[in-house]
Amino acid sequence: MSMAGSALATQPQPQSQPAPTATPGRMSRLRRALAERRTRYGLLNAAPVVVYLLILFVYPIFSTLLLSLKGEEGGWTLHWYADAFQGANLEILLTTLRISAETSLLSLVIGFLLANAVTRLKPLWAGLVMLVVIVPHFISALVRTYGWIILLGEHGVVNNVLTDLHIPGAPFQLLYNEIGVVIGTTSVMLPYTVLLLYAVMRAVDRRLLAAAASMGAGRITIFRRVYLPLVAPGLVNAGVLCFILCLGYYLTPALMGGPKQTMVASLIDDQVMKQNQWNGASALGIILLLLTFAGLLLLRLLKSAGEAYRKRGTAS
Amino acid sequence: MIGLRPTLAGRVCLAAFATLILLFLALPIVVIVVTSFGNDAFGSFPPHSWTLGWYKQLFADGSKWPAALALSALVAALTTVFSLILGVTAATALVRSELPLRTAVYGLVLAPLVIPQVVIALGLFLLFEPASMLGSPIAIALGHTVLASPIAVMILMATLKGIDERLEDAAASMGAGRLTVARRITFPLAMPGLVAAAVFSFITSFDEFFVSQFLSSVDTVTLPVQVFNVLQYDVDPSVTAVSALLIAVAVVALALVGVVRRLGGSGRQDGLLPTETTVGLPAGNET
Repeated sequence: MSMAGSALATQPQPQSQPAPTATPGRMSRLRRALAERRTRYGLLNAAPVVVYLLILFVYPIFSTLLLSLKGEEGGWTLHWYADAFQGANLEILLTTLRISAETSLLSLVIGFLLANAVTRLKPLWAGLVMLVVIVPHFISALVRTYGWIILLGEHGVVNNVLTDLHIPGAPFQLLYNEIGVVIGTTSVMLPYTVLLLYAVMRAVDRRLLAAAASMGAGRITIFRRVYLPLVAPGLVNAGVLCFILCLGYYLTPALMGGPKQTMVASLIDDQVMKQNQWNGASALGIILLLLTFAGLLLLRLLKSAGEAYRKRGTAS
Repeated sequence: MIGLRPTLAGRVCLAAFATLILLFLALPIVVIVVTSFGNDAFGSFPPHSWTLGWYKQLFADGSKWPAALALSALVAALTTVFSLILGVTAATALVRSELPLRTAVYGLVLAPLVIPQVVIALGLFLLFEPASMLGSPIAIALGHTVLASPIAVMILMATLKGIDERLEDAAASMGAGRLTVARRITFPLAMPGLVAAAVFSFITSFDEFFVSQFLSSVDTVTLPVQVFNVLQYDVDPSVTAVSALLIAVAVVALALVGVVRRLGGSGRQDGLLPTETTVGLPAGNET
């Protein structure tokens, strides 16, 4: 390893003042040599992660795609995709979309209210609240789901409290149905939405709101005309990401749902582990992947549309 | 709304509401820790009497938990080593060099965070099954590294960006070689980031379920898979104690990251934890 030369190469820009002895030609050659060295250094360092992910991430997904298109007796077929969109499988697909939509909507609403509350707290309190949001995120989702199972049981804490408060109809059935799944999944997704929204809300210039108020706008008008448009990109971003993450989610629906809350990920697991039906599972996986790409594409399009809109706004 | 005079009623509402949401986040965790010390494992909350029995049962003869714990620890340690190697090189390439197709490389590195885990797990299953590597700790660790390395790369990129490049240049201009610069300047400054990357890689693997589920065999089962199986099929009250242990591991790990940042960081970033980079949010605006 050559020492001084390559260390020099990490300098961002060669000196603007050429040394008096160096001719311009020599200088540019030196500059090019440095740039090449920097590029070589980058390629060398990028190689491990790129090779690793190509072998263990891209190639496996590619082989899943191939398997989903292979017929049972060789040849190519779309038969597995046709299966996925039929009968019970279609129902599971629709359930997945429904539960993901319910969960992302709920996490978005709760996340919005909490993130908004945090922006109004004093820094110390805001830090503590964010700690309570973040720490659970790093605790296994499996464990938190188990916590909800204990809490929501027929004689669990939640039902006991509701019964003591004489809420009519208590105790409720909160487990092994959709309520349980949505509660459990929302608590897993909430840290994402809170963090995404908090970042956007903290960046809102409060003087804009004060300016609107000084010109006589009421609270609701300020919220609707000033605040909401400012945080809207964050809301869309958080909602779509939450939806994408829910689509492939497995643990909570599998443990807290009933037969009517089976999600695609459970179906894939079942087909691989119990029915040895790899082709069908691959097709379902590819469908999930395409839905994810669609969501990411939507985000990209909305972002560029928003930027174009803003640019037109400043130009006029 | 913000920046206006808050009314008293508004404040009370806000506080009550925020408390409720925080309870929503914290209660499932608290309930497990408390129940794990209670005498009636699935029974009432709070428990009537206290015991350490469930913890003792974990290590009783014939218990399946020690083997699962050992496997999880081994896999997590391997994953940490793999993703630190990938993370340091990738972050160096992305932050400290000219890289052709930089955006594409960065996108590839972050992709495992948004691709559904079931798709990754299924792909890895199809890769390792024909090689009859199912149940091998190496295979599980290789799989976990796909999920852990993006997080390590993001943390280390943030760390490298926070280190003043001129310090390295200054050392180099005074005759220090590249290795000396790395050892004497970059490494000490990057220490908190390296610890954070290692810790988050470790917990990612230690808590990972889906990839382990697909890559494990009958005799080799990681801790989360074992917990899941117990919750779904058997009844084993000691699962509460295992869950409490998993919580303890995560909390200790986070505390470690917090302490190292406090000691090692020169107050550049505030906050107790590096939030945005470690939660694994795909930073879409980053190029």
